[in-house]
Amino acid sequence: MVAYLTGLCAAVLASLLGLVLPPRWRVRGSGILSATACVFSMASAGEVLASGNSYSLHTSLLLPFTGADLALDPLSALFIATTAVVGFSVSLYTIAYAAHTPNNRALVATQPAFLATLLLVPAASSVATFMIAWELMALTSLIALLTEHRERPETRDAAQWYAAMTHAGAAFILLGLILLAARTGEQSFASIAASRPLLSMPIASAVFVLTFIGFASKAGAVPLHVWLPRAHPEAPSPISALMSGAMVSLGIYGILRVDETLLGGGKLWWWLLVVAMGVASALFGALHSSASADLKRLLAYSTVDNIGLVLIGVGAAGALLANGQRILASLALLAALYQLVNHSLFKGTLFLGAGAVQHATGTRDLDQLGGLAARMPLTTTLFAVAALAICAVPGLNGFASEWLLLQGLLHGFAAHPAVTQAAMLTGVAALALTGGLTATAFVKAIGTGFLGQPRTGAAESAREVAPSMVAGMAVLALGCVVLGILPGLVVPALDRAASAGLAGGAPNSLASGLGLDLTSLKSAIEPGQLAAGLLAVVTVAWGGLKLAQKRAGFYRPRRTEAWGCGRELQTPRMEITATSFAEPLQRVFADVLRPNHDLEVTHIAESQYFVEAITFHRSVDDAIERVAYRPVISAMSWWGRLARRVPNGSVHRYLAFGFVALVLVLAALT
Amino acid sequence: MTLGFSLDLVELASGIVLATAVLTLWRKDLRALISALRIQGIALAAVAAALAFYIGDAGIGFVAVVVFAVKGLVIPSLLARVVRTDPGSREADPLINVPASLVVASGLIVLSFLVAGQFTGLLSDPVTRLAPLGLATVLIGFFLLVTRRKAISQIVGLLLVDNGVALVAFVLTAGVPLLVELGVSLDVLLAVVVLQVLVAAMRVRFGHLDLDQLRELHD
Repeated sequence: MVAYLTGLCAAVLASLLGLVLPPRWRVRGSGILSATACVFSMASAGEVLASGNSYSLHTSLLLPFTGADLALDPLSALFIATTAVVGFSVSLYTIAYAAHTPNNRALVATQPAFLATLLLVPAASSVATFMIAWELMALTSLIALLTEHRERPETRDAAQWYAAMTHAGAAFILLGLILLAARTGEQSFASIAASRPLLSMPIASAVFVLTFIGFASKAGAVPLHVWLPRAHPEAPSPISALMSGAMVSLGIYGILRVDETLLGGGKLWWWLLVVAMGVASALFGALHSSASADLKRLLAYSTVDNIGLVLIGVGAAGALLANGQRILASLALLAALYQLVNHSLFKGTLFLGAGAVQHATGTRDLDQLGGLAARMPLTTTLFAVAALAICAVPGLNGFASEWLLLQGLLHGFAAHPAVTQAAMLTGVAALALTGGLTATAFVKAIGTGFLGQPRTGAAESAREVAPSMVAGMAVLALGCVVLGILPGLVVPALDRAASAGLAGGAPNSLASGLGLDLTSLKSAIEPGQLAAGLLAVVTVAWGGLKLAQKRAGFYRPRRTEAWGCGRELQTPRMEITATSFAEPLQRVFADVLRPNHDLEVTHIAESQYFVEAITFHRSVDDAIERVAYRPVISAMSWWGRLARRVPNGSVHRYLAFGFVALVLVLAALT
Repeated sequence: MTLGFSLDLVELASGIVLATAVLTLWRKDLRALISALRIQGIALAAVAAALAFYIGDAGIGFVAVVVFAVKGLVIPSLLARVVRTDPGSREADPLINVPASLVVASGLIVLSFLVAGQFTGLLSDPVTRLAPLGLATVLIGFFLLVTRRKAISQIVGLLLVDNGVALVAFVLTAGVPLLVELGVSLDVLLAVVVLQVLVAAMRVRFGHLDLDQLRELHD
């Protein structure tokens, strides 16, 4: 607890240093202190995760009337630890990133502040403390989003969307928690959980719906995701990594903390709703990420997709618990948490990598990149490792967690009501389709962005980024590899977190070791063996091929450009682009993606038969935004225009408002 | 002077305050408006002076002197000076015409008697029965603000509101402390000076004092 508080103070201090230090010392001083803060928080959270102890702290110094409550249990420690790892890399990365950014004070000062609030939210253990931490997180992230490119209209637009969505979400959470606190008469989470029997089921359901809407909007679940594909691309890349790697996860934390542990599981339909939103998010996010040609937008939609997978796991765990299958519920939640941690690691790497690309080339449009593998070898390698991990290639962490999730869902098929079985099956199907679409998206990102020949001068002149940026990415990519090969390192900790995250404190499913016999379907969770097997197959195949070449003699390998199809005279214009790569997929899913084509042919003045220029523009709309949000927005602005007619500038009218109101109040008094 | 006579005097002067307020709605000539305001200021001072006798408090007597100086002499003469630069100006076309205004005023007076019934019952002092007169003056002043076009009429309306508030304060709390009254009176005086300057600036810039034609407040 002391280490955790030290870390928190260090992060706040780093933010202040970023604000007051002169430019020469600012970036390093703040960055190193911020990384130190993460080390302290990591140590504290690691101790809790390793031992399973819980700590709590109440101080009346900070908040008037209620006092501040902080507590660390394995569930919150898991989120603090993940945030600390991502935060550590981001702090390293920001040192070089900000050093090359003019006017970097805002960025350097808000990044540690944002980090501090991210570390604070999971530890908050009373309604007042939690809401204040949550709002601080919303505010610092909003400022952080605006620190770079605030003059761009897209960034402002993104900030408006983000502000509206995050505050609407916070309002829902506040309503839910106030209802909860009022009905139980308690304020701290521990006492609320203890006086849970006071809640009637309709009230508990109302609290669930309110808080779930709020937390799902922070997590970016469809249909509350609209802010995410705008805010993540427009934020500075270190901030995008923090948002996607840590902030979005806290939406899931909120669902687990409030809806699972405080409300005690509840009804089956709650968790089927969670699964349904998870399935929708996974499919919608994966589809959009495979159709996007903007690197960071692709990653943002991929976040929606991964959060969908996590929600499927969380929903399955809740449904299984409501069904009385504690061990399986614990397994499903473990898988969901594992996926969440992994997502933080690889999505952090990917966003930092995208930031490095943008830093080196000035663009994040995949159609204008290409050929970066030869120019930025380290960035490309690290990006590729993370991309393979997100595609769940065996040997990396994404595989381990998705495998576990699949196991949990398949075994959940034994659950009783047919609707639960259907939900599990839908989850499995969504997982499968999402896996394929994710692979498409990242083949596109690597293939057209990093391989091949550069399509523009900017990509041609790209250079490898500074060592501290590479180090930031490398820490996270290393995490992807370690958690993929040695899941046994973290599974006990995840198990403790999952047990803390289930209502009634489910028994540690893996308390007796790593083995878990699942009776209905026989299988083994052994990613290590699978990776070894895969490695063996690849080695044998490669060795056989080399041997055959040596024996045969006539077969000489020839090196040409990627995407060249063996042609010698390959020009960048002949290469496949990200847009053309995604085209068949857009055609298949045209009903959901609704691509807009825009073909403009300019003829020369003298004749219609000669074409001067052709411009082709293609964009993909967010169907949910168009259907569900645009009408609301236009209704609001219509109402606003109508209301603007009332104050017409006449002094007399303004005075009349006051006069009539006064007379009405007096008349009401009689 | 007996107690009974001083009570009668308070009642008479309060009546004059309300009567002059109604008078401002009736007369269109701006000079008549200023005269009504002057009479009202003097009547208010008389209320304070008679109250000082009635209660036997020298402090209120001093308040009466201040009120007489500020509201009976200084402010009306400041406004008269503004009107003198624009002789013959009239509130030619109010947003609600004079007969209708008088009907509304009678409604406002009835309303204030109804409302004041709520709190005049709290005190047994006969003076508190006069509170509705002050309240009605406030409402009429506000009504004047809403319906009159000329800047001078607006200032008069504002001063009516202030006089009404002062009257309510006198009769309900048996006189306000000297310091408070001094502060309020000087504030009003300052406001009038500022408005006078503004009116002069308006005339220079727009050539008229018709507030209805100013729409620049519209964002």
